[in-house]
Amino acid sequence: MSVSATVATSESTDVLAVANSPILWGSVAAVFAVITLQTVIYFRAASRAAPGVGLDKKDVTRAFRAGAVASLGPSLAVSLIAITLISVFGTPGVLQRIGLIGSAAFDVAAAGIVAGTEGTTISGEGYTQQVFANVLLCIAIAGAGWMLVTLIATPLLKRGQGTLERGKNRGRMALISSAALLGAFLCFTFQQAAGGLGPLLVLLASALIMASLLYVAKAFEQRWLQEWALGISLIASLAFATVLPALGIA
Amino acid sequence: MTSLEQDTTTGSWAAFDKTTSRWGPITMIAGMTVMILGPGLLAIRLGVQPGAVIAGVLAIAATFGVVWFVEPLSYFPLLGPASMYQAFMIGNISNKLLPAAIVAQSAVDAKPETKRGQLASVLAICGAATTHLTVLALAVGIFGTLLIDVIPPELVTSVQTYVLPAVMGSVVVQMVWANPQPRIFLIAAVGGAIVVFVLTPLFPIVSYFAVALGVIATIALSLTLPGREKALEEGLATTLE
Repeated sequence: MSVSATVATSESTDVLAVANSPILWGSVAAVFAVITLQTVIYFRAASRAAPGVGLDKKDVTRAFRAGAVASLGPSLAVSLIAITLISVFGTPGVLQRIGLIGSAAFDVAAAGIVAGTEGTTISGEGYTQQVFANVLLCIAIAGAGWMLVTLIATPLLKRGQGTLERGKNRGRMALISSAALLGAFLCFTFQQAAGGLGPLLVLLASALIMASLLYVAKAFEQRWLQEWALGISLIASLAFATVLPALGIA
Repeated sequence: MTSLEQDTTTGSWAAFDKTTSRWGPITMIAGMTVMILGPGLLAIRLGVQPGAVIAGVLAIAATFGVVWFVEPLSYFPLLGPASMYQAFMIGNISNKLLPAAIVAQSAVDAKPETKRGQLASVLAICGAATTHLTVLALAVGIFGTLLIDVIPPELVTSVQTYVLPAVMGSVVVQMVWANPQPRIFLIAAVGGAIVVFVLTPLFPIVSYFAVALGVIATIALSLTLPGREKALEEGLATTLE
């Protein structure tokens, strides 16, 4: 199989080797830079407009600080989820997809879909570097769907501000959103359940752990636990998955 | 308030509006471009076929395409035009940005629907973005990279193998917990079960678009089956963000 270096590597199943390639690090550094630039521009524009709407200098600092402090917990919680998924997407991959633009639910589900179109599963037989690169590219393009709609819809909505807020329209959109997401995620769940005893047990463990965490969060009024629930539940159910081979369940 | 003051108010607001409605889209397009460019170059280098990319994107679109439209439209009334360009690039809207905006508005005593409230929320999102980028760079960029080097390969394989069921179990429970919709849940569960456990074994080709089928069926039935009137008035959306 050692034809030429490039052909040989793209057939390799060592996906983490390409997951840390400088191209992807460069891409994530650029996304960080763009968000930083946007934040600076927005902050300066907002500070300049602030006195006009009755926000003095102190208020500007107060609002900025309130946002910074309030997001510390959620940011750490998202970081935990991202770290858990590094072995799936690589460090630059999770920074960009899980930490920023996307979400664990969308990106993991979408990665599974793309692997499926290539006739394989994440880490399954035939999950080569080439398939991995295709997964990353597809979820980036698909993730741009939200941005594209934001870019097109925001100026239009600004002109017709108000129509969306009205009862029926808002209700219909909420209903379509809930139906789409529950439809998609219940289908994924059933597909995993149909995948064998191992995935079924992990699925049940994950659901049970999440339910208990959310119950504890509610019963003892620990709001922080709600934010951390997905990260904790992911680690706990993956830890459970690692003992499955020892029990003879592949 | 004198008329002069009112003029400076509208003037400074117009300047803010002009800056954000120009630079918001510019930065978002730049973000979108660099985020696709990296994986795109990698895919070219590894010889990924364009057909495989199109197939993958279409398969995701069939499942999540509806959500691309619904989520920005649902968040617009909550975020306002300026923050839309921030929120859909930074992500984590419902769990981080909205709470940060609400905290900031109450810190400066501003009502959400006012210009004062909108500015407070833009500033809060700036603060949230600063924290988020710093935490990500330190916790994930540095610590995560060190961590992955010491993880044994068997553990990596195990995580890859079971990541889908591990995420799905938790996410479904979280969705139902955050926004219980028994009627839609029942429709989605029955529809999904028929697609996965009946149609897929009968017609193996269904497996390629099973999820898309489940999504379309759930939307169509939720909009038409009896009981929708009450659901339409409630208007709380389940979101992915």
